Amino acid sequence: MAGDPTPKRPRDDDEAAAGANQGWAAVSYLIGGILVWGFAGWLVDRWLDTGGIATAIGAVLGAAGGVYLIVRRGGA
Amino acid sequence: MISQAIVHLRDPIPFPPSVEEFYPPPLIAGTYPWLTKFTLLVWVAVGLIIIFFLVAYRNPQMVPTKRQWIAESIYGFARENIAKELIGTEGVRFAPYFATLFCFILLTNVFGLIPGIQISPNSHIAFPVILAVISYVLFNYVGIRKYGFVKYMKHSLIPPAPWFILPLLIPIEFFSTFIVRPVTLALRLFANLFAGHVILLVFTLGGFALLASSSSLIKPLSVLSWALAIALFFLEVLVAILQAYVFVILTSSYVQGALAEEH
Repeated sequence: MAGDPTPKRPRDDDEAAAGANQGWAAVSYLIGGILVWGFAGWLVDRWLDTGGIATAIGAVLGAAGGVYLIVRRGGA
Repeated sequence: MISQAIVHLRDPIPFPPSVEEFYPPPLIAGTYPWLTKFTLLVWVAVGLIIIFFLVAYRNPQMVPTKRQWIAESIYGFARENIAKELIGTEGVRFAPYFATLFCFILLTNVFGLIPGIQISPNSHIAFPVILAVISYVLFNYVGIRKYGFVKYMKHSLIPPAPWFILPLLIPIEFFSTFIVRPVTLALRLFANLFAGHVILLVFTLGGFALLASSSSLIKPLSVLSWALAIALFFLEVLVAILQAYVFVILTSSYVQGALAEEH
């Protein structure tokens, strides 16, 4: 395989690999967004004693940011 | 394994299996944790890979021998189908690392399935963590070397977006690139191998537990448990190969991301 000039593999392989990468990236942006801003909201909750509302707002904002990043970085 | 099985039949069966299974005792008293089954297996894997590739390439032929063909196929796969496809011609210099990584993870995973060895070092979190750290340092290093620290950070942290959403996006980018990536890389490999080992233990030891039951109605169920253990063994073969592949694919995609001109 290494020695001889192999013809290019069918594109399915690469597309499957690229798809898997994009899938992992999308999951990590979405979960990352919710966790980071949810955590920030949770800190605000503890600070101002607002009983969870800031955590919820943070998580929703983070999810929105995550979706935005998936669209921009994923090239959708 | 047979002698172990007989021991299990005589003694009370250690069922359900516990996390203790993943902390093998030292091979020589007083060397814990430096000389255990895991560390020995890691050295065996390293030795086997070195010897295999040295022997396979020692006397290369135009028409390859079987060994040479296998070695060339593995390296060719890492070079053509992973490095070149994902990173481009620039990626060829990473092909030796990808091939080594793939062989090492695959071999250590397969250790979990070989009778008599039956546990993979990768089912202990320490080993996947080190592999993930190597990949993490690699992709950040090549990115910093190509762009310089400041430009690399800009490049990886600042997405193409209007300035007023950037404060929302930059922490997400940081978290997903510099924290989620290495953590998931290590966890995915560890959790798959850990769970695989536990599942096989549950159904194998479960068979003995059922056989030791006092009720003759329950005893025959042990056959079912063992049949499941055999079926799941084949699933674990698939997992062993797949996880080695996924680890390498993701490493190469992170390297590609660090080197990419523009997103």
